[in-house]
Amino acid sequence: MAEPGTDEPSSRTGSPDGEGQVSGERLLLHQRLAVRELIDTELSYLHVLRLCASDIRSSLQQLPQRDLDVLFSNIDDVIEVNSRFLHDLQETASRKEEQVHLIGNLFLECHEELERVYKVYCASYDQALLLLDTYRREPELQREIQSIIEAVLPQAGPSGLSFLLVIPLQRITKYPLLLQKILENTVPDASAYPVLQRAVSALQDVNTNINEYKRRKEVASKYTKVEQLTLRERLARLNTHTLSKKTTRLSQLLKQEAGLVPRTEDKEFDDLEERFHCVSLCVTEMKNNVAVYLDNLEAFLCFRPQEYDLDIPGGPVVQYCSLMRDLQLQAFPYFKQRLKGLVWQPLCSLAKALAGPQNLIKKRLDKLLDFERVEEKLLEVGSVTYEEQEARHTYQALNSLLVAELPQLNQLAMRWLGQILCTFMGLQRELAQQVLQRAEGSLAQLPHYHLSEPAFRKLVEDALGQTGHQLRSFQENFEKVLPPPTVQPLLPGAERQVQALLSRYGPEKLYQVTSGVSGAGTLDLTLPRGQIVALLQNKDTRGNSSRWLVDTGGRRRSKSRSGLTRTPVT
Amino acid sequence: MENSSTMSKSAVKISLDLLSNPLCEQDQDFLNMVTALDTAMKRMDAFNQEKVNQIQKTVIEPLKKFGSVFPSLNMAVKRREQALQDYRRLQAKVEKYEEKEKTGPVLAKLHQAREELRPVRDDFEAKNKQLLDEMPRFYHSRLDYFQPSFEALIRAQVGYYSEMQKIFGDLTQQLDQPGHPDEQRERENEARLSELRALSIVADD
Repeated sequence: MAEPGTDEPSSRTGSPDGEGQVSGERLLLHQRLAVRELIDTELSYLHVLRLCASDIRSSLQQLPQRDLDVLFSNIDDVIEVNSRFLHDLQETASRKEEQVHLIGNLFLECHEELERVYKVYCASYDQALLLLDTYRREPELQREIQSIIEAVLPQAGPSGLSFLLVIPLQRITKYPLLLQKILENTVPDASAYPVLQRAVSALQDVNTNINEYKRRKEVASKYTKVEQLTLRERLARLNTHTLSKKTTRLSQLLKQEAGLVPRTEDKEFDDLEERFHCVSLCVTEMKNNVAVYLDNLEAFLCFRPQEYDLDIPGGPVVQYCSLMRDLQLQAFPYFKQRLKGLVWQPLCSLAKALAGPQNLIKKRLDKLLDFERVEEKLLEVGSVTYEEQEARHTYQALNSLLVAELPQLNQLAMRWLGQILCTFMGLQRELAQQVLQRAEGSLAQLPHYHLSEPAFRKLVEDALGQTGHQLRSFQENFEKVLPPPTVQPLLPGAERQVQALLSRYGPEKLYQVTSGVSGAGTLDLTLPRGQIVALLQNKDTRGNSSRWLVDTGGRRRSKSRSGLTRTPVT
Repeated sequence: MENSSTMSKSAVKISLDLLSNPLCEQDQDFLNMVTALDTAMKRMDAFNQEKVNQIQKTVIEPLKKFGSVFPSLNMAVKRREQALQDYRRLQAKVEKYEEKEKTGPVLAKLHQAREELRPVRDDFEAKNKQLLDEMPRFYHSRLDYFQPSFEALIRAQVGYYSEMQKIFGDLTQQLDQPGHPDEQRERENEARLSELRALSIVADD
């Protein structure tokens, strides 16, 4: 007897076995379709990308290269990665049973690379949109662009370039969805199932990371610009909104200072910041010191002793002058130039590069104050406005950005600084080498080249001692005042006077005036040259020995001592 | 001379400031490098000072001595000049009387004038001769006088730069830095800069 349960499965719609098999087949079919969709869409996606990157980009001649770089960003990298990806995808088609498993593995292998190239493209997409906006304002240009695109890809439609450029963004977000579809159509106990699950979550993470990266980049570019604003521009920027922001921050800061509100202590960040601060200080100090060093080098090189003509032919003097000339023309300028290019310039670039992060750190502090206030409000009230939520997010983005990148920044900066220092040392060594080479050449031609240093010094000392004597004798010679002519003719009619003086005072007291004296004071005498006077006292009434009391035979007066010499009077 | 001292001092300051930076406490390698550089700079400064002293003794002072003779020489020249003036004056007087009629008083005055002239002329000629003798000898003496000084200058430079080469040679060897050509150094600087710029937190302009 036939049991009711043994009816033909195909006519039973309620039987589990039958249903299972049907849905199993249906599942498989849908899976196959989903896989097919994945591969086909990948193929056409790549095709469109290639057209964009080659035909369209090269046809857009009228746009400057700079713009093209912004619009197309790293599309070549994307194409390269996706080509390999497609190739591998297509390979899996040959392995029917394991295909889904392989596809899952492929995604797991590739997702990091995908994240790497797509995040760059996505981050610059906004800038590309801005650029397209500017094009839209020029109708002529816009028409040209549109016609080029329509020639290559008619399906692009009226939105043209923006439609095409957004395609990679759409693609990367599609992957998780395509994978999800395959997953749904896979039996849970298939070996591929867990693999697919991991692949789905991996691609979802990729998208999250890309968004986070984009956000950080936006925040960074908003705040790193070290803007040089004039006072006017700063005032113009003030409005009630910014004023209220600033006052709120200030009050928050004051509350913290006063201990009314706890400060958010983030040790990790503080350590990073401190290190950054040290690095920054190091760079600034070194930059300043090198600047001073360069200035002093300039001053040093201004002095050119070799340009003064001593009129000494031959010998060490000539050697010295030619040595100095060579050094001034070659070795030192070369050193200076290298110092500027290989030490000073890099220091300046490094210092400039550190200005952005400095700004960000400042901004983070501001945003931190905002964040803390919002947290307070959240505690008190339980909800916050959209703006406040934004403020929280901005702070968090800034903070995570800084925490992620400051370690690397510090390390890179330190490494560079170390290299610059080593270059500095290397340059000094090479300068010494060059100067020494040239100077030793000069040394070899000196007469006392073979002498050791102490022997040479003794030699110089002796030589200088000798010439010192010689100089002194020259000096004495020049200072020697030759005795004046001994016999001065007597003035007419003075003989009798002289006789009188002679008899009164004796010959040793008689002096002759050698140069005419005109008395200045009331007690002074005016005496012509040649007059004979008798010395009464060799000092005046006040005891001043530069003035003498003399008798001219007529009057007794004092006169200054100069111009009187003792003469033998015959 | 002060210029080279200033330069040397500013080089020392570079390493000194680096040494005082707290980074040195955190990073052993950095500390080693900076300490080595600092030692090198201080030694170079010491050598520079020695060089300056040496040059002071062998070049500057002799130069000054040579220069100090010139005032005396100038005085002697002035005195000769004055004697020349007196000579000319009296010579003119004599000639004036010689041209006049030879009367009694005139002859007496002429005789007087000649008597006055004689010692003055002798004086001038003595001074003149002295200068004619001595001045060329003095001028000539500079040749031999300065040679040792310039030799000393060159030797001082050789001494200083050979020390410098040794010190920095040791330093670069110690810190394992082979001599790179300039292009390579430039490339490395560019590479460092691009690495920094790759970070989002570094503004790129």
